[in-house]
Amino acid sequence: MSYALQTLWHERQRYASGVLAVTFSAVLIALQCGLLLGLFKITSIPVDNTTADLWVGSQEVPSVDLGKPIPEAYLARVAGMPGVTSVESYIAHFANFTKPAGGTELCYLLGFNTDFGSAGAATVLSREQLDLLTMPDAVIVDESDMTRRLGVKVGDKAKINGKEVRVVGTVKGLKSLAAPWVLCSEHTARHLLGFLMPADHITYLLVRCESRGRAKEVATELQAQYGTEMGAYTSEDFSLRSREYWLYRTKAGIAIGYAALLGLVVGLVITAQTLYSATAANAREFAILLALGVPRWRISVMVLAQSFWVGVIGIALAFPTCHALKYGAKQLGADVDLRWEVLLGTAIVTISMALVSGVGALRSVRQIEPMTLLR
Amino acid sequence: MTHDEGPMALLPWAATTSPSLRGVKLVRTFGDGTARRAALREVSMDLFPGQIVLLMGPSGSGKSTLLAILSGLLEPDSGQVLADDDGVLRDVWQMTGKEREQYRRKHTGFIFQGYNLFPALTARQQLEIVLKWGEGTDSADARRRADAMLDKLGLAPNKHKKPAQLSGGEKQRVAIGRALVKNPSFMFADEPTSALDWENGQKVIELLRDAAHQRGASVLCVSHDSRILPFVDVYYHLDDGHLERRPLPHE
Repeated sequence: MSYALQTLWHERQRYASGVLAVTFSAVLIALQCGLLLGLFKITSIPVDNTTADLWVGSQEVPSVDLGKPIPEAYLARVAGMPGVTSVESYIAHFANFTKPAGGTELCYLLGFNTDFGSAGAATVLSREQLDLLTMPDAVIVDESDMTRRLGVKVGDKAKINGKEVRVVGTVKGLKSLAAPWVLCSEHTARHLLGFLMPADHITYLLVRCESRGRAKEVATELQAQYGTEMGAYTSEDFSLRSREYWLYRTKAGIAIGYAALLGLVVGLVITAQTLYSATAANAREFAILLALGVPRWRISVMVLAQSFWVGVIGIALAFPTCHALKYGAKQLGADVDLRWEVLLGTAIVTISMALVSGVGALRSVRQIEPMTLLR
Repeated sequence: MTHDEGPMALLPWAATTSPSLRGVKLVRTFGDGTARRAALREVSMDLFPGQIVLLMGPSGSGKSTLLAILSGLLEPDSGQVLADDDGVLRDVWQMTGKEREQYRRKHTGFIFQGYNLFPALTARQQLEIVLKWGEGTDSADARRRADAMLDKLGLAPNKHKKPAQLSGGEKQRVAIGRALVKNPSFMFADEPTSALDWENGQKVIELLRDAAHQRGASVLCVSHDSRILPFVDVYYHLDDGHLERRPLPHE
């Protein structure tokens, strides 16, 4: 074990506040980012809950809810690409939902092929629900939107764009942010949208390919050949694209950024103070090493090593805490997305913070003089 | 060897007549204006290889100042400190800071009143750290040399103990081991026995004497403790900045 780590363990009470400050910063940063990502997952729900390998929409479509109509004739083009095994049409469009008790709400219609196992059918739908959706004007909504936002229950009739619909079921996990998702068959969607969706037009083509790797190639190929008319993205890319669009568009990242920065500053101050006083407490021992001719940089390296380990231990405590809090948040209905990028980023930022604190503590190393041992 | 045999009787180093360290007309004052006080007034002192020198004097007489100047820790206002650096006498205070650090690394060992041991490290590690960080010795060699030194100091059973598990005497012996492990030409000890009972204090002074007589080091020991007198070869008294060599009780 290194001298730095050994000292850290031996004097753990002294270093505890620094370690906890790192943990505090790391938890704050990871949770803020995780909550934000969890929140913005809502914007890519249609992509994340279907099984297509590839989404083909209008040119440069920024987000799944902002696709413009494309000619249905593109289907033949896409189907003819090598590596493509199946293509389905998919309709996605805003619509006006009139509640049975009066009042309207903006909703987002998702119309897809209701065959069991189709690329566009939301994975949360059961076979029975898909069968129910084949009935004209049948719709299904998420249970979180039922009473509070749309004012309906299963079996109720309501109106979308002035045309009657019947709520035939509910699902879980398709929570909405602004406009509730309304699931229906492509046929129903086309009927409800009327002139809003031009004849022979659709919003997306959902493609299945021979493999995920092949999907990437097909997307690149489609972009290269038809990039001026359509946009082709693998489902992973399209999901990310949708989330990033709304993240930047809403500037929500800024608020989260400030909160994370605050956590970082608090962590930095406490860690710096802890390391400074811990180094000062060992000043006499360091002074004798200097008297014996040990170069000062050796002592500086040890202090920096200590700050690194304070960071690492702080992170080691932070990650289980984050996961516990994620579980807690889930019970309250909030999704915290602690993907590896978030955890890695948090680790890099907070360990760097600890190292910066260590650099601050080097002030006390510079003040150490062997002469003090003789007074 | 006991002190009854006379300090210089059996010393292989006694034949060496040239000093290994010379302090020449050292002057050092502290404070400014009316508060200005001379700690050393043109003090000269020679240290010889194989000799243990005791420096005594009342508090504030400038003993520690002289030790600090001779050991390269405190710069004198004037005067020279000429040290044998691989056969050449060099003025320690004409060296650059880096050269002086190198000189201390190669030649000087220190023992202070407080043991100043790292609380987290074992006895063996206290010695290893000096070799590894000072001389860049590799781990295996540092361990071997540290163990050999602890053996000599009778600390072999304690080598895995941390300072909190050692007695005061044992801690001071570890501190001596830390100073001696790099085999220095000069040993500077500032009140090495003052925190110890006489039994342990005697052991410590015997170890310092062995460093001089067996290893050929020049040892300068600053102390208030007159019980040390029988163990040393030369005795100086410093009072109000003036140095005077005095006869030993058995001379």
